[in-house]
Amino acid sequence: MSASASFRRKLWPYAVAVVAVAVSVFPIFWILTIALKTRVDAFAMPPVWFFSPVWENFGKAWSATGFSGAFFNSLIVCALGNILALAAGIPAAYYLNKRHVPGRRTILIWLLISYMLPEFLFIVPMYVLFQSIGLYDTVIGLALIYQVFTLPFTIWLLRAFFADIPEALAEAARLEGAGTWRIVWTIYVPIAAPGIAATVILNSIKMWNELTIALALTFDKAQTVTLAVAGFRGYASIDWGAMSAASIIIILPMALFAILAQRRIVQGLSLGAVK
Amino acid sequence: MHRDKHIRWLIAPALLLLAAGTLYPVIYAGYLSLLQWNWGSEAKFVGFRNFVRILSGTGFPKALFNTFYFAVFAVVIETLLGLGLALAINRIRIGAGLIRTLMILPLMVSGIAVSLIWKVMLDPTLGIVNYLLSLVGIVGPAWLGTVPTAMPSIIMIDTWWQTAFTFIILSSALKSLPTEPFEAARLEGATPFQTFRHVTLPMLKPVLITVIIFRTIDTLKVFDIIFGTTGGGPLRATESVQTLAYQTAFKSYKFGESAAIAVVFSLIILTLCIIYLMIDTDDGEKA
Repeated sequence: MSASASFRRKLWPYAVAVVAVAVSVFPIFWILTIALKTRVDAFAMPPVWFFSPVWENFGKAWSATGFSGAFFNSLIVCALGNILALAAGIPAAYYLNKRHVPGRRTILIWLLISYMLPEFLFIVPMYVLFQSIGLYDTVIGLALIYQVFTLPFTIWLLRAFFADIPEALAEAARLEGAGTWRIVWTIYVPIAAPGIAATVILNSIKMWNELTIALALTFDKAQTVTLAVAGFRGYASIDWGAMSAASIIIILPMALFAILAQRRIVQGLSLGAVK
Repeated sequence: MHRDKHIRWLIAPALLLLAAGTLYPVIYAGYLSLLQWNWGSEAKFVGFRNFVRILSGTGFPKALFNTFYFAVFAVVIETLLGLGLALAINRIRIGAGLIRTLMILPLMVSGIAVSLIWKVMLDPTLGIVNYLLSLVGIVGPAWLGTVPTAMPSIIMIDTWWQTAFTFIILSSALKSLPTEPFEAARLEGATPFQTFRHVTLPMLKPVLITVIIFRTIDTLKVFDIIFGTTGGGPLRATESVQTLAYQTAFKSYKFGESAAIAVVFSLIILTLCIIYLMIDTDDGEKA
């Protein structure tokens, strides 16, 4: 093989990567530039590539009716949803990690099936139930219904992380008189902390971005940030700036996750699928 | 039976939440599907009339066709593209972390923001896509606005959004493959294509099937990017089963009919998953 052929061999993966990265990032970059443009520049054709950024679109998006409230609702739903998922999911993952416990197979299949169900199968029944017990249009109701997907995912992922923890550690603690609760919280939880972090990140992304259920089960008090952004759809023909700024506001926290915790996200996603 | 009797309390909270969140609604949806019930009015038991109506009407079969049209193309394109990217980018040593971080960005974006981004980019007169096409002399269509181009546009949008998922999982799987079979193939003088066909692909198959199952389920449930871009139009060309179920329940307030749609659709997804898993285990026994 000639030197240049070998050089080309090493280089083509980079060519592929450059194209893939450009295609992945460009739409987000483009919407960011529109968010930073004046109205005239945003609609200019051909597009304006060099301009001095303005911030007024972000102010307009943030102060749109209900937007900031929806942003904080989403934060609360994410926090509550994660607490619920971990509180129920950590003990459940420990239980299902044991081989000979009653109902293990049935529960595992049940978890898979609940991932499979289309949202509208449970949205309509939940709408009727929530209306009658006062959970409709509340953040608590939303955090509860989100357990339909966060809990199976949490259990599934943590079980994979727990499986790597040697049984001998728990045995040793048991001989010293530690009960099951203590073993879970003082041995499994600390060792699986990276796994728990990955779970929380992935659950947060899923809940923060969720639209379908929030659309059906909230009205205004508990509106989430996705619905606030959806409210800008009608602006498509009149005000690209505010709409783009709203999109950037919803993207930003999750993009920070990706930048700070790329390894955890990759690990969580692949473990969830491969094991 | 496990020796620690208290251990069963560990699963209790999860079971309670799952029963309330999935078991109860599934049973209740089954019951609702037998009712003629417009939210706010009196419910009437009608047996299987809702099922007869949705299956003999035009709306549901059309939505079902659209959903499968979308899912088949999206899953095939995203899987092949993700596999190709994983094979190429796994050869990269320097900068791999940065490349991965940038490539998973679309996956972090909410479906509603994805919709708005692409509405702006695909705008027929002011969008950047048609502008770039005009530079090479092509007059771009009204992507999301005409019947023949609307669904392909949604498929393209989903490809941009979700290919990182197949890429990440296949890339991790490739990294965890044992090296010996590749050594053996190299010593026997196998070409790169032969190595891929007879070494990489068979070892990758279980993960590949898992990825395909995940993407199939997710794409069949498509809602956000249709709701956010076309709302099911033009002329119902992008109406999916879930957008139809939404319209039926929350625009027409026909709860019974919407439940019937969801029940039939759930059974279809369940059947598909069982078929996939059977293919998976069949081959496992042969090997």
